[in-house]
Amino acid sequence: MSDEKKYWELLNEFEPLDDARFKGKREAVSSPTSRRNFLKVLGLGATSAALVASCKSPVEKAIPYFIKPDEITPGKAVYYASSYFNQNEFCNVIVKVRDNRPIKLEPNPKSVITPYGTSGRVQASVMDVYNVNRYRSPVRNDETIVWDEADNEIITQLKELSGSGRTVVLITPTIISPSTKKLIGEFTQSFNAEWHQYDPIPMDGYREANRRSFGTEELPEYHFENADCIVSVGCDFLGTWLSPVEFTSQYSSRRALFEENPGLNKHYQIEAGMSLTGTNADTRIRADRAEYGKILVHLYNQLGSQNGATQIEATPPPQEVTEKLKNVINDLQANRGRSIVVCGDNNPDYQVIVNSINQMLGNIGETIQFNRTYNHFRGNENWLEALLDQNLGAVIVWDTNPVYSHPMSDQIRAAIERAPLSVAITAQPDETSELCKYKLPAPGYLECWDDAEYKKGVVSVLQPTLHKLFNSRQAQEVLLTWMANPLSWQDYIRENWTSVYFTEQAANASSSDFWIETLRNGELVLNNTAASVSYNESATAGALQTAASEQASEGFTLELTEGIHTGTGHGPLNPWLQECPDPVTRIAWGNYASIAPAAARRLSIKNGDVIQLGNLQIPAFVQPGQADSTISIALGYGRTTGVAEEIRTGVNAYPLSRVESNYRRLTVPNLNIEPTGQTELLALIQGHQSMEGRAIVRDATYEEWKENPAAGNEMHEEIQKHHTTLYPKTIYPGHKWGMAIDLNTCTGCSACVLACNTENNIPVVGKIEASRHHEMQWIRIDRYYKGDENNPEVLRQPVMCQHCDQAPCENVCPVAATNQSSEGLNQMVYNRCIGTRYCNNNCPYKVRRFNWLDYTGADAIPNNRFDPANVTVDLSRMRHNPDVTVRAKGVIEKCSFCIQRIQEKKLDAKLEGRPMEDGELQTACQQACPANAIVFGDLNDPESRVSKLMKNPRNYHLLEELHTLPAVGYLTKIKNKS
Amino acid sequence: MKRNCCCEGIGLILRFYIFLIPFTFFFNLPLTCYSETEDVIIESGFSKDEINRGKRFFMGLLPFERNHEACISCHYMVSPDTLNWNPSAIDIARKYAGRDSAAFHRAVMQPSGNLMAASHQNFEISEEDVYYMKVYLDNLAVTGVEPMKPSINRILIFLFLGVLLTWALLDLLIFKKVKIKAIPILIFVAAFGFQLFMLFNESVLLGRSPGYQPDQPIKFSHQVHVTENQIDCMYCHHTVTTSQTANIPSTNLCMNCHIVVREGTRSGRFEIDKIVQAYEEERSVEWIRIHDLPDHVFFSHAQHVGAGKLDCMQCHGDVENMHVVKQVNDLSMGWCLDCHRTTKVDFIENDYYSIFEAFHIDLEAGVRDSIFAVNIGANNCSSCHY
Repeated sequence: MSDEKKYWELLNEFEPLDDARFKGKREAVSSPTSRRNFLKVLGLGATSAALVASCKSPVEKAIPYFIKPDEITPGKAVYYASSYFNQNEFCNVIVKVRDNRPIKLEPNPKSVITPYGTSGRVQASVMDVYNVNRYRSPVRNDETIVWDEADNEIITQLKELSGSGRTVVLITPTIISPSTKKLIGEFTQSFNAEWHQYDPIPMDGYREANRRSFGTEELPEYHFENADCIVSVGCDFLGTWLSPVEFTSQYSSRRALFEENPGLNKHYQIEAGMSLTGTNADTRIRADRAEYGKILVHLYNQLGSQNGATQIEATPPPQEVTEKLKNVINDLQANRGRSIVVCGDNNPDYQVIVNSINQMLGNIGETIQFNRTYNHFRGNENWLEALLDQNLGAVIVWDTNPVYSHPMSDQIRAAIERAPLSVAITAQPDETSELCKYKLPAPGYLECWDDAEYKKGVVSVLQPTLHKLFNSRQAQEVLLTWMANPLSWQDYIRENWTSVYFTEQAANASSSDFWIETLRNGELVLNNTAASVSYNESATAGALQTAASEQASEGFTLELTEGIHTGTGHGPLNPWLQECPDPVTRIAWGNYASIAPAAARRLSIKNGDVIQLGNLQIPAFVQPGQADSTISIALGYGRTTGVAEEIRTGVNAYPLSRVESNYRRLTVPNLNIEPTGQTELLALIQGHQSMEGRAIVRDATYEEWKENPAAGNEMHEEIQKHHTTLYPKTIYPGHKWGMAIDLNTCTGCSACVLACNTENNIPVVGKIEASRHHEMQWIRIDRYYKGDENNPEVLRQPVMCQHCDQAPCENVCPVAATNQSSEGLNQMVYNRCIGTRYCNNNCPYKVRRFNWLDYTGADAIPNNRFDPANVTVDLSRMRHNPDVTVRAKGVIEKCSFCIQRIQEKKLDAKLEGRPMEDGELQTACQQACPANAIVFGDLNDPESRVSKLMKNPRNYHLLEELHTLPAVGYLTKIKNKS
Repeated sequence: MKRNCCCEGIGLILRFYIFLIPFTFFFNLPLTCYSETEDVIIESGFSKDEINRGKRFFMGLLPFERNHEACISCHYMVSPDTLNWNPSAIDIARKYAGRDSAAFHRAVMQPSGNLMAASHQNFEISEEDVYYMKVYLDNLAVTGVEPMKPSINRILIFLFLGVLLTWALLDLLIFKKVKIKAIPILIFVAAFGFQLFMLFNESVLLGRSPGYQPDQPIKFSHQVHVTENQIDCMYCHHTVTTSQTANIPSTNLCMNCHIVVREGTRSGRFEIDKIVQAYEEERSVEWIRIHDLPDHVFFSHAQHVGAGKLDCMQCHGDVENMHVVKQVNDLSMGWCLDCHRTTKVDFIENDYYSIFEAFHIDLEAGVRDSIFAVNIGANNCSSCHY
């Protein structure tokens, strides 16, 4: 079986030949050590250790509260409903708070928007609150001042300026909070100010297209769960587009393949760069970025001919693409009303064509609805005019960073510097706030009161979960003060809710009950007022003309994409996000220009070679599946202000983006690549791209599965037969924990990796250590290529400790620091580990991680600390989960199946005197997974979900031929190929 | 040849011995160290004479003839072996550090509680004496009590043994004064053996502190509260059945009773005043922690007291009869595991255990008569270490 499938070999050819990356670094670590020197060091070390450890026999104090707050029980967590919103990420979350510190974010199962899972960015956002670089008090120029002083000065100047006819401009990111919108409305009135919303990666083109096609600027809701056929033209809807967490849940619900639910959807992705969505597609059609317009016109023409629309003269896309598009067109036509066509380009003409295709297919009102429309992405380019105007009096920048993220950075910088009054209200320093005269510190979202209407009619609340760490004030509080409004911001929200939403519900009789109930639920769902839109075909013709008459690009086309972890530029502040490798390239810490293997060969470029693109110098990375004349670069990197120097990685590619007819374009045509001769280190986490001929990820097609549910997994049964042993069978008297992972629903979004980081106090090792494969994450998501290097199939597999019943690691530990528990866990005892790393060597899955250096500051010797991201200072340590040991240098660690959660839930059941329920206990990775790909439970309970999945014919174990008997099972990947 | 071998062997032993000395020294060091003194409260600005005069009065040396006891006979300078309910000198010094001499005089001469009134009878102390005493106490509040001279017996014994065995070794190899070789050999073996024994004992105790009984900032007696006044443990330590930690009561919880109870039968008003004062100043009492497990151990009170229904006394000893709490057990891992091996689980009543089907069958068949904590995985490493 596996012989037939030729798995794509690694790109050895593009590795830098002389391993230049490690020069110097390795030498610094190794030093000539003789036995004698070793003994000397040992003697000295032991003596000084004894000195340090014993001289101060510390007297520990036990300090209780003065008045214990009712809601805090030391040693127990409390949970508050709140929400996370940033650009395109929204999640209703439950904040886990231990001793007044938020330490973990969990999805709110009551939510109608994101009941399952969160994104990785949401998980990592805990770290942002405890960021040491935050502003701590108001600053005027470089001088720390008190709030009253700042208020008085700013109010006086604002009044003067608006009185003398100068404009006052307030720039914010998209505001989805109804109360804040109301407040800003009042503010603009009282100070005669202009309010503009700005998105670094905007979707104003989509809104414009909808205005043309449907007469409404609303962004519709997409129902991927109802779509049998999804066609995406360069739209990364699982990774970064519009509402990825929500879409991942919807999409994956149609990838969960069981006998009783066999309706697998069909997903075509037509794209240039390898996106997360593209790697998940059933059929990925490789097309250059410059061809998108032609492809859309072609799709329109072909579908139009079957649906009675007028044809338009246009050069078709290249033959190889047209050939493959035939299937797309047939499937779309066959699934009228049950399909979705999306395109990920902010060009309004493209979007008008997409609208018209969806209308033609009858998808509008079915899979695409205008009922609960999205409220985010309200930003556009109109603010530039006001800002660059000579009459500009005051500019207030509220948590937004156009100097970094806009191509006209220089003009914006000059305008802000020129303005008589410039105020930045932000939590963390950024390129824009540094230019402003007044810098007013805002709290992080976990310290804030707020509300949010992400989708129309679904209103959520944000409530503070810790006291403000610094002398900060929410932007809304600042506005209230300036307007001399005596209400506190919290009361303002409450009043707004009482007047607007209290009347729309009947469940609670008093407004205070209603408020408390809302805080408890985190979300209020209002009655759905179905909006009717009327389609207008008249705009289509013009759009088709424009798209068809596009000039072909000469040379390379550059495509700028949103970094899946770094987002639009918040990510680099968070070292967890930087260290989490990109799910496609598996590179952490920095961005790079992805180029196709053929182009790389032609230009003799190897991985890490720095190339010149316009004004930009960036290392190149050879990406299989990349379109030949397209280069892809992730945005969000290259931040310089507010990021510790050690973790400033990547380059800022925003300056290459353009504003064309008032819309931001993230493509640049007609570029040439010029090698500079320099090389740069790329922290490539995964060394092997191929499975070396072993059946690690087993896959089959939908057709094969329909005939035989065990398709692709025939060897499982064969191997099961060989599992014989002379030893007595181990008996697990109570629980036997196990995990099943559905490779078909997993999209590789890496939320699990970051959830695990947060839950288990995983340290940050930095770029150099990560590039030496010293990363510490307990889960990795392996990515394998299969087939043609020009457009390979991608297979993914999350791998954590497999908790083998016959664990090879256990037998070789000389101090029994790792052994089997009576509940089937492979336990790792840090305080017993002496760091021989025998277990690491003997583990066939390579899931054990060794603390090569003191990454956490848990070591007894302070000078040992290795903390490139500066996250072991006391403030950052507040993020730690107190239920998990912070590991010191020299010990092995690995996935524990979230043993702290197991212990907690077992205890809850014992205290209540009841058996544990299936599903009550969730591991951190499972909880964060928006795709529901991970199921954890008790294998001793035949009725549990995990037991049933283990009996599924698709289930197999990783390297099961080794007779390690893992407790983790994988369900085969089934692709719906045609 | 033979001689060479012998020399090498002895050289090795010597080196090993030299290597051991610093270890031994540092193992013993904790015994010689004391906790750091409190922060400076006031700046002393008095002459040495004034301080000494006050000191002499406090010590009972100054008025040569007097009808009352010396101050120090009740208000000790250092903590004594036996329990002393009276406020110590440093306690008094700190309490009155910020007040003037007149206030102090009033406090001494006009006792505030029955107990104090009984002992401060027949006081004929001039205001001048009180002034100097106050000066002395103010100074004491700054300098703190002189530390006790550390007991260095063990180090002395260890060093003496070291000298002895060095002599034995030298005699054996070089001087050869003692005719019967067995004597230095015997001395060497015995001395070295005893040293190793001392080392072993010290190392076992590293990080453990059975018998630890520090002075607390308030002379809080569990015996008075639990045995004499019949207050349940869980009135104060109320999270013990639901949380990992058995909480230490917050100041406001103490005040539930002490808003009324202002004088103790033994300690008078002084100790209770401390909690009242803390309440008025809105601060917590900084107790000294006694039972302290290493950070890599996750112990849950809820598991043991809530689910396991253990009595507090099983681990903490007879606290209800302790005036000053003392760590009774060594809280070592072996001690935990031993208890898990002998503690029965509430297997029938608690429905959580219904999943252990094989054990239930065994119980019914009489193969087992009870299920112990160890059977349900209490001694798994990951039960406590994660």
